[in-house]
Amino acid sequence: MRKALFLRLFLGLAAFCILLPAALLVLWSAAARWSWPNLLPESWSGRTARELLFGAQSIWPLLGSSAALGGLAAALATLIGLLTARAAALYDFPGKPLVRFAGLLPLLIPGTVFAVGIHLALLRLGLADTLAGVLLVHVMTALPYSIAILTDVTAALGGGLEEQAAVLGAGPVRGFFAVSLPELTPGILSSMSMAFILSYSQYFTTLIVGGGRVRTLALALVPYIQGGDRSLASVYALAFTGSALGVFALFETLIHRWQKRGDRP
Amino acid sequence: MRKKRTAYLLLLPLMGMTALALLACGSVLTQSLGVVPAFGLTEPTLDYYREALADPAFFSALGVSLRVALLSALAAAVLGTALCAALVRVGPGPMGLLIRLPILVPHAVTALFAILLLSQTGLLARWAWALGVISEPGEFPQLLFTPGYGGTILAYLWKEIPFVAYFTLALMAGVSCTLGEAAENLGASPLRAFLTVTLPLSLPAISQAFLIIFLFAFGGYELPLLLGATLPKALPVYAHLAYMHPDLRQRPAAMALYGLILLLSAAMATLYGLLTRHLLRRVEGGQ
Repeated sequence: MRKALFLRLFLGLAAFCILLPAALLVLWSAAARWSWPNLLPESWSGRTARELLFGAQSIWPLLGSSAALGGLAAALATLIGLLTARAAALYDFPGKPLVRFAGLLPLLIPGTVFAVGIHLALLRLGLADTLAGVLLVHVMTALPYSIAILTDVTAALGGGLEEQAAVLGAGPVRGFFAVSLPELTPGILSSMSMAFILSYSQYFTTLIVGGGRVRTLALALVPYIQGGDRSLASVYALAFTGSALGVFALFETLIHRWQKRGDRP
Repeated sequence: MRKKRTAYLLLLPLMGMTALALLACGSVLTQSLGVVPAFGLTEPTLDYYREALADPAFFSALGVSLRVALLSALAAAVLGTALCAALVRVGPGPMGLLIRLPILVPHAVTALFAILLLSQTGLLARWAWALGVISEPGEFPQLLFTPGYGGTILAYLWKEIPFVAYFTLALMAGVSCTLGEAAENLGASPLRAFLTVTLPLSLPAISQAFLIIFLFAFGGYELPLLLGATLPKALPVYAHLAYMHPDLRQRPAAMALYGLILLLSAAMATLYGLLTRHLLRRVEGGQ
């Protein structure tokens, strides 16, 4: 029993360490003055919130472009992930072990080298410094995770149900959409959530491949952190993290709902 | 058996992406050998690598990156395993969700956390003042923007400890509720069951997590940029500085640095793979 108490204290400490900086971010966002050595701000203000929502550098256009980019990257990574997962989980063919390696490749290349190299490769294709190029590199970054998640669920489901549907006369397309897709939906949603968050948080790849022409929230955030205004940096970081977590929570809810729906007879 | 041709059709997009990733590495390596036809450079040479390796600044940057990556990954592997074990023992509950938060928070925001918390006027310094440990900000140990990269390492730990726990959780929970409990039923104490059964069998996940976070920290840009010293720089920050050189003829020099990061990462991953495969086989054989 004493041991369990010790473990609980350890977990409590871990939770405290995770939550403390998040709480600090909220306090700094709303602080008007918080000078040394006070433990709490002396006065509060809505200055940073106004700046964030209505200022010259307001968040809306950035939020829009980042969310659109993240949504597209999530959809594409999940679609490619689904195709790859089907091949890897349901088919046997020569060269199959290479698929695993190919799926992991973007993770094995150091991120900075990957970004610079992709920029060079896209220069040859005429896609450097464009939105399409940035989208492509975001999809590539998210793909290893999407493939891993979707291969797991596709392999777990197997091809048996679709074969039964085929025996009963359904074509391959109808077999997939009517039989497999509903079962794969939770995996598809977690792949989309993961890919969205990854795209949303990309800094170096967007910086290099976008060549400064593609503006996202993650890109705009860094100068604020390098600048001296802690309150302004905090409010942008809060908006950034909050919106990412919001999307994550939305997907988690959808997954939960879908699974509950499936439980009903 | 289903048709092979369908499988290859399904794999076409992945093949395209893989070709692009290989082209990316190839382009970096080609330019690092001084082959940039656009600038009229067509003769391959190792001069840029020689130049990079002759510069002491390269080795101090390499030292910083190795130190940050090794210290943060080692500490995160140990503490993350402990966190995972505690979660398995007590049951995940809300904490199982909470450990996903640092994984989702981007590195730039983690850097801001470190500034708000660890700077000499940060919250920890204020707590130290309130407790009477220090009387002015200058007495609080400087962790940020110093050549020791303490703040960078701590910021990595904030993200990586939960990552190791999350990455290992499924395997360790599975092992613990089958073989770990069997050992306890046979009379082993919980600690002994953990150390002799659950931990060794969870090592494959822990060792994979270690490699992932080590390589990430070795090649990571944002945290050492935002929290590190002006000199020495971390290797990716040093390489980016060379990449941003206004004279485009300096590009091959920058690409040699990226080439070195790529080759060093690949070499370390291969070495680690060989080492752990041998060790893990011995652990498994000993069971």
